[in-house]
Amino acid sequence: MGEGRVSPNWVVLSLMLACLAAWLILDAVSVAPNRIVPGSAYAALEIMSGWPALLLTAPMLAVVVLAWRPDQQRLKLALATTVLLLALLPLWLSAATAVLVEPSMPQARVGIGPSLWLLLFLLLLVLIELRTRLALSRSMGWCLLLPMIVSWWLSLALWLEPLALQREYQARSAQFTSALTMHLVLVGAAVAASLVLAALLALAMRRHAGIRRAGFGVLNFLQTIPSLALFGLLLAPLAWLGTHVDWLAAIGVSGIGWAPAFLALLGYSLLPMVRNIHVALEEVDPAVIESARGMGMSRRQVFLQVRLPLALPIVIEGIRITTVQAIGLTAVAALIGAGGLGTFIFQGLGQAAMDMVLLGALPIIVMALFADALFGSLSERLRQGGTA
Amino acid sequence: MIELFDVTKRFGSEVAVDGISLRVETGELCALVGTSGCGKSTTLSMINRLIEHDGGEIHLDGQPVRSFDEVALRRRIGYVIQSTGLFPHWTVARNIGLVPRLLKWPKGRVRERVEELMQLLGLPVAEFADKYPRQLSGGQAQRVGVARALAADPDILLMDEPFGALDPITRETLQHELRELQARLHKTIVFVTHDMDEALALADRLVVMHQGRIVQQGKPIALLHDPVNPFVESLLGGMDRGLKEAALIQVGERMLPLGPRLLASERIAYGASLSQALSVMLWHQVDRLTVVDEEDIPIGELSLRRLLGAKAS
Repeated sequence: MGEGRVSPNWVVLSLMLACLAAWLILDAVSVAPNRIVPGSAYAALEIMSGWPALLLTAPMLAVVVLAWRPDQQRLKLALATTVLLLALLPLWLSAATAVLVEPSMPQARVGIGPSLWLLLFLLLLVLIELRTRLALSRSMGWCLLLPMIVSWWLSLALWLEPLALQREYQARSAQFTSALTMHLVLVGAAVAASLVLAALLALAMRRHAGIRRAGFGVLNFLQTIPSLALFGLLLAPLAWLGTHVDWLAAIGVSGIGWAPAFLALLGYSLLPMVRNIHVALEEVDPAVIESARGMGMSRRQVFLQVRLPLALPIVIEGIRITTVQAIGLTAVAALIGAGGLGTFIFQGLGQAAMDMVLLGALPIIVMALFADALFGSLSERLRQGGTA
Repeated sequence: MIELFDVTKRFGSEVAVDGISLRVETGELCALVGTSGCGKSTTLSMINRLIEHDGGEIHLDGQPVRSFDEVALRRRIGYVIQSTGLFPHWTVARNIGLVPRLLKWPKGRVRERVEELMQLLGLPVAEFADKYPRQLSGGQAQRVGVARALAADPDILLMDEPFGALDPITRETLQHELRELQARLHKTIVFVTHDMDEALALADRLVVMHQGRIVQQGKPIALLHDPVNPFVESLLGGMDRGLKEAALIQVGERMLPLGPRLLASERIAYGASLSQALSVMLWHQVDRLTVVDEEDIPIGELSLRRLLGAKAS
């Protein structure tokens, strides 16, 4: 592109038009007098017409116009506008809350409606598209989220007390912290243990073809067992161990709780981890290995200075996949009493309290995205030396 | 000096190298030539024990290679392969300094040596030292490969089709540079190639291999004159052999001093080959050329008769 007429950026254009439609048509906020009574929903324009509605509509229109003939300058402007929009969302929600919730309703709960969810999602997609178009670095991408995060944090601290999510959190903040910790500990322990085990397994597989065949067979089989079934299968043997082996009982092993959850997570984590480590080590260019040996590097030096560093980006890809998968699976582990954020999801489902489900689900999503980005950029950075 | 005595290598039931004996003198460039699968690369890899031989003996300067520790052995032998085998995660400077670092040279000495080699191979230090292999062209990467092999100043250099993956122009440049390098350094080089022109241009000794055996060996000119069988003859170029030989002889060797006659109008450089001289004659339809030195000053003349007649003598 570049010279003469630039064709429209259809991705941004259609995403933004969808944003506009969602904003103008769908319900943005629902208000209920208390936790039990179902709320009534409002579209954005029903709550505040006039300038507050325009406050968000105008930037959206601006991005649409900018995306029609996008050059570098216009794309940058569109990006700035999108960042602004993301930061404005919580402020608008605060304003809407102030309008809708009267002081006479101390139990009132404000729910986030489909329009706002959709807007949040679509705007993030626009942000990703623009970041790619402008070839901005990953860290720059994170900086772009800062205004939005600050704005949410500010709004939650100052004005959004009636937000249902916030009310759910305040009702059980201690529980939330311990659930979050448990979740992180389970994921961290499972990933760390599987990394160590998988490394040993992968090394053994490289030595012996027999172990390789058998190993992948078993791991593939493990992976096909549904997670709940695996928890079930572990119940009986672990319960038996818990009652018959004293020291296991002492550290808290029983049929339910953290032990089966940890073992199941470990089982599921092994396959992607082993596969990635194995492939990473095997796929190093044989010519590089040959020349390393030909130059007079010892086996150890070839492995530590050449094979391992060249394999590392793919190994970290494995850690990334495993971590994201473990974060999701740990949610299910709540069903067997392992704790973690899944507790809120299943309790919330039981009580038909969607905001409580969100209290569990949102942090899980954020954690997964964060782990994904963290290991993704780490792997990318290690690659930069040059597996060309 | 490298000596192979009745060396054999089997892969399973297949005999890759079948009882070959060979002697490469110190300072000699020996080219192993043959079609693919003839055992030439295997032979090369047995010298630095990347592949262990099954029968016979291989000696370096009179000592069997088996008597050395294999890692120590390889550190004193330079090794260059076709795909360069540069470490993609290391900079050019670090790649070149590999063997000196393995030999635990002091840091300063490694750096000096790396810079010296980069200059020797026409890689400006400021421009290339911190580049990664993927940022190099094929020719640059192979120069780095050669520099890396020379880093610890080994007496012996093993080169496995080092220029095979390069375009013809780069290949010719690097062949030329290798010749000049060899004239200065006098390494003992074993050079594997399937390109007969390359072998003829570089080798002091030419070894033709076929199906794991040495079919013929000797000076390139000797092989061109007396191929032992049709296989060697066709490998050497069949009817083109005359031109291939002419390509090996410099104009300077055949020219006569300037005579009383007028200077011929077409000129040829002293260092050009007879085949180039013949080409100039064909192109300009003349039978006499003026031979000039580097400064384009006439120093002799070359006639067609002389060009042809010299061959018969």
